Amino acid sequence: MSPLPLAFTLEAFTNFGFWSGVLVVAGIYAVVSLGLQLNVGYTGIVNFGQAGFMAVGGYSMAILVLEAGLSFWLALPAAVSITMAFGVLIGLPSLRLRADYFAIVTLATAEVVRLAAQNARGLTGGNKGLYCEFEAASQTCFDDSWRSLSDSILGFVENFWADPEPLLPLLIAIWTTVLVAILGLGYVQGTPWGRVLRAIREDEDAARALGKNTLLYKLQSLAISALLGALAGFFLALFLATIHPDDYEPIVTFFAFGVLILGGLASYRGVAIGAILLWTLLEGTRFVELPISEEKTAALRFAIVGVVLIVLMAFRPQGMFGKRQEMVLGD
Amino acid sequence: MATEADRGGALLDVEGVVKRFGGIRAVDGASFGVAAGSIVALIGPNGAGKTTLFNAITGFQRADRGSVRLAGEEVLGLPAYAVARRGMVRTFQITRALAAMPVVDNMMLAAPAQPGERFRNLLLHPRAVRGREREVREEAIELLEVFGLRDLAGDYAGTLSGGQRKLLELARALMAQPKLLLLDEPMAGINPTLGRRLLDHMQRLRRERGMTFLFVEHDMDVVMGHSDRVIVMAAGRVIAEGEPRQVREDPAVVDAYLGGAA
Repeated sequence: MSPLPLAFTLEAFTNFGFWSGVLVVAGIYAVVSLGLQLNVGYTGIVNFGQAGFMAVGGYSMAILVLEAGLSFWLALPAAVSITMAFGVLIGLPSLRLRADYFAIVTLATAEVVRLAAQNARGLTGGNKGLYCEFEAASQTCFDDSWRSLSDSILGFVENFWADPEPLLPLLIAIWTTVLVAILGLGYVQGTPWGRVLRAIREDEDAARALGKNTLLYKLQSLAISALLGALAGFFLALFLATIHPDDYEPIVTFFAFGVLILGGLASYRGVAIGAILLWTLLEGTRFVELPISEEKTAALRFAIVGVVLIVLMAFRPQGMFGKRQEMVLGD
Repeated sequence: MATEADRGGALLDVEGVVKRFGGIRAVDGASFGVAAGSIVALIGPNGAGKTTLFNAITGFQRADRGSVRLAGEEVLGLPAYAVARRGMVRTFQITRALAAMPVVDNMMLAAPAQPGERFRNLLLHPRAVRGREREVREEAIELLEVFGLRDLAGDYAGTLSGGQRKLLELARALMAQPKLLLLDEPMAGINPTLGRRLLDHMQRLRRERGMTFLFVEHDMDVVMGHSDRVIVMAAGRVIAEGEPRQVREDPAVVDAYLGGAA
């Protein structure tokens, strides 16, 4: 324990290992939150079920590889399709409801998915989860194909960098996805399709009165969000080398909302910046040393992050990249 | 099609529309026709069922019974967006400007036949999407010019005054190129100058484009001076229909306004 009341070592921040960990998690959250941005920021549908889409994506990928013997690279698009279909299935009845009821349905659905995964032990391993034992090289795991690709990338990188960061390939894959998603979403947002979404956010009845099939657009918005959820689910599974029900608790969705609020509504690049900021804060506060027990410090981390969020909201309620005027006029 | 001929080429033919809320019959068998190219006022005391009738015939609320034909085609039971696409576009009593969107985007949203509204086309036919988008923008700017809103094209619609919003809503509805426009209290809450401009637009659109209007209005001077025909509702039914002069002298109408229910 430090003799000083508050000591803060900056050493960690100069360490690439620290940053690669933060950036992997931040990138995963950026992917999830981009879907939320499309739903909440641009379509006006409050989706509390992103963690559920991550779980459906992750589990179906792993199950397709392990149980159906599908190749990893085929399992990815298949799991994406399953997750999108799942999103449409959930959306069909619930998107006809008022926004707040829809929010509750998505939250409940995500919990149903998690609890089902916890109990369908035959398929999902229940509370043991689907995990890859590093020692047992002979045993197949869902991420074998990824691991061999990752190793060959690292082997190539070793030509320039003696001891490369093992997370580097995953980091590249995740942030490439974030970049492509931001560019793609930014493009479609500027088209007539994106305009209809914004009209729905502003006033769904007005959009219907002008001949727009609003349910269809909301379903598309949700399906794209499910797609991004599935991708984030893959990345999380590859990062942790396990798929466990506890990794898909509602808190994941709420952290994603934290990212959204930090970055600002109706801004895609805000999501990326918000994700980096939130996870730098969450992980960086690990190094705050206080003259109290470690458990208390761990709990205090969230309090610190909370205070930072409150201060930010007080001075910049629209988030870092949100448009204040749109926020004020929106209501 | 027989009824259409009977009514002298009615563009809109409403028959026996019933809309109940629990035990209350908000619209209780309303029947009337609107001839193509006419301006028709719908009047009646508060609670007569005018707005509910609008909602029922445009698909915003499901009618319990009846028939609504637009140019001979049944539209009752269709979802609201499909009714609008068939050419019957409505506005709302309380304006529904899309506040956090620019004025010009409000207008462009309403344009029909936009390939860029289909997600698939964004990837497969980006050129067609861009081409139509240019056209739509030009149309939108032209129409804003007509309504004296050209200078506000880039502003958020939420920054417009109440009267400007009413104008925007009318202009936006016109972008959809409707056959029939249903206006719910277009003059409510706007100053007389803007109100006059709105009425002038209506008259001119009828003259130049043969457009048809059905509007709810409380101001009797406006009703008497600007409509070809007047439909009077009370307690969910149509109690009188005819030229403004006729209707004004109808005892049933006087009774509905001054006495109890008809």
